[in-house]
Amino acid sequence: MYRYDEFDQKIVDERVEQFRGQVARRLTGELNEDQFKPLRLMNGLYLQLHAYMLRVAIPYGTLSSRQLRMLAHIARKYDKDYAHFTTRQNLQYNWPKLADIPDILADLATVEMHAIQTSGNCIRNVTSDHFAGASADEVDDPRVWSEIIRQWSTFHPEFSFLPRKFKIAVTAAPKDRAAIKVHDIGIVIRRDASGTLAFDVYVGGGQGRTPFVAHLIGEGIQAGDLLAYLEATMRVYNQYGRRDNLYKARIKILVHQIGPEEMRKQVAAEFVEVKAQGALALPQAEIDRIQAYFAAPAFETLRDDALLAQQKAQNKAFAAWHDINVSPHKMPGYAIVTISLKPIGGVPGDASADQMDLVADLAETLSFDEIRVSHEQNLVLAHVKQSDLLVLWQKLDAAGLATANYGLITDIIACPGLDYCDLANARSINVAQAVSKRFADLDRQRNIGELKLKISGCINACGHHHVGHIGVLGVDKKGVEFYQITLGGSGDETASIGDIIGPAFAENEVADAVESLVDLYLNLRQPGERFLDTYRRTGIQPFREKLYAAH
Amino acid sequence: MPQVLTANRLLDGEVVYLASDGAWVEELASAAVIATKAEGEAALVTGIEAERNQKIVHAYLFEVIDTGVPLRPVKQREVIRAAGPTVRSDLGKQARS
Ligand code: SF4
Repeated sequence: MYRYDEFDQKIVDERVEQFRGQVARRLTGELNEDQFKPLRLMNGLYLQLHAYMLRVAIPYGTLSSRQLRMLAHIARKYDKDYAHFTTRQNLQYNWPKLADIPDILADLATVEMHAIQTSGNCIRNVTSDHFAGASADEVDDPRVWSEIIRQWSTFHPEFSFLPRKFKIAVTAAPKDRAAIKVHDIGIVIRRDASGTLAFDVYVGGGQGRTPFVAHLIGEGIQAGDLLAYLEATMRVYNQYGRRDNLYKARIKILVHQIGPEEMRKQVAAEFVEVKAQGALALPQAEIDRIQAYFAAPAFETLRDDALLAQQKAQNKAFAAWHDINVSPHKMPGYAIVTISLKPIGGVPGDASADQMDLVADLAETLSFDEIRVSHEQNLVLAHVKQSDLLVLWQKLDAAGLATANYGLITDIIACPGLDYCDLANARSINVAQAVSKRFADLDRQRNIGELKLKISGCINACGHHHVGHIGVLGVDKKGVEFYQITLGGSGDETASIGDIIGPAFAENEVADAVESLVDLYLNLRQPGERFLDTYRRTGIQPFREKLYAAH
Repeated sequence: MPQVLTANRLLDGEVVYLASDGAWVEELASAAVIATKAEGEAALVTGIEAERNQKIVHAYLFEVIDTGVPLRPVKQREVIRAAGPTVRSDLGKQARS
């Protein structure tokens, strides 16, 4: 994985000391809250309902064991023994004290981590495929390109004060696990007819108040031109993006207003200029340098494990977990393991300090010292020997980390919602818990099949409800929580925005509503159809009728 | 409707309420109930003063149910601020009482 050079380390260390001074000046009153707030946000520090919240960047969701142990250590020393993994592949502490923040940041800096670019109107932490470097369907490791983009965008003088926050996601597989089409810029890396890497650049996707699926703006951009093309896109946005209206300042609104055709033209014109200046051309040597950080680990030459079938036959729970949470690896004899952070009735994305330490240990001994955070709020061990799976499962199980539900209805994305978040209209976690308990039975979940349920506590859509096969959005009606249900959203390569089914439901009605939708799907589905497929075939009408029949 | 003045403490973000003796207290039960508009305005002045003295951040008024003892906020948001996360009863103010 990427390691800081001297320059990176120096900048991060300096930022810590700079913020230490700012906190000190805030505490003596030299800085008032209006002056301090933008400074703390630049360092990932928010003030939420009950306390401060520190958001730590995990670039493209990749962590070493050492880093994860440090995150656990901070949770123990400065917080309340747990932390929350977010849909931006970041981590949040919910209870740090202001005076401790400089020390926390200093601790993070010792493991090459920080909280920069996790807030504010800058290019945020770049997100990517959590199976990067492991999945058979990718054409390259997307983290190489995520890192190249991270280096270009970090502290870029033109991009520190954008009209709004800006999110970039990268995938290098035809199966999109990074929801790239609902990002400001989403990049799909593929190989063209000659086998050369080519970059398709999708622009103008996003969730929030006005959700859009991104349009293909740049097709087949060459590797050496990638940054020039991105810079050109950013310049067009920076020139035209509306700064006068917060809700309209996103690039998705710009693309929507001028249309993808015009956007293509504008970016193409700018691209010619940026290229002519030449400064952003990516030399092969630089690509090679970054690529070296992501070189494949020293895989052994193995065959697919012969014992596995027997182990599964002897242990039903292990077999279920294996079928659901273990994905094929590009190397024979290896596997990708998803560690679900969605125990039945638990808080999606939360992990205790002890659990983080355990996962760090397991990664160190069984998965080349590397952990991934997925945007679906799970952890991934990307390179596990199949012959180690049983032992791994036993250890995870003992720590409450072996819930078999990857991609199933209880693998729910939920934002912190009104239990923590200052911007929330309603809680999300409680709804996730109610649905999770309702569908606890694993045979039932497996019969239902892939179903992505996503819950947000307000229209900011951190819980990705717009792209949930079933989406739930919390709304506030005179101080009381209500929940609007959307159907048919998807964040994969067939991305779509969910349709609102009808009037909102009270908190205690949501699990019932989800259950009737699922029951109807089970009645309507044709062989092989997932919930999303059935919905796309039948449209919303039968679901609407079913849900509101009694009303 | 009666109101209470609340804010977050600067040092640790803890939810605090203005009490009738002018102190900032952690428990809603000890908060001053503000009955009139004039009292509300006076409380807000106290809040601004406390912000200037680095005690608290962002003071504002919220509504509480008329006759309620113990005090109960009208809005769910304030109910949760007064207790802690509903999904973690071991955390926040509720864990201390
Ligand atoms: S969606 Fe809204 S409630 Fe949920 S975390 Fe984001 S801002 Fe907070």
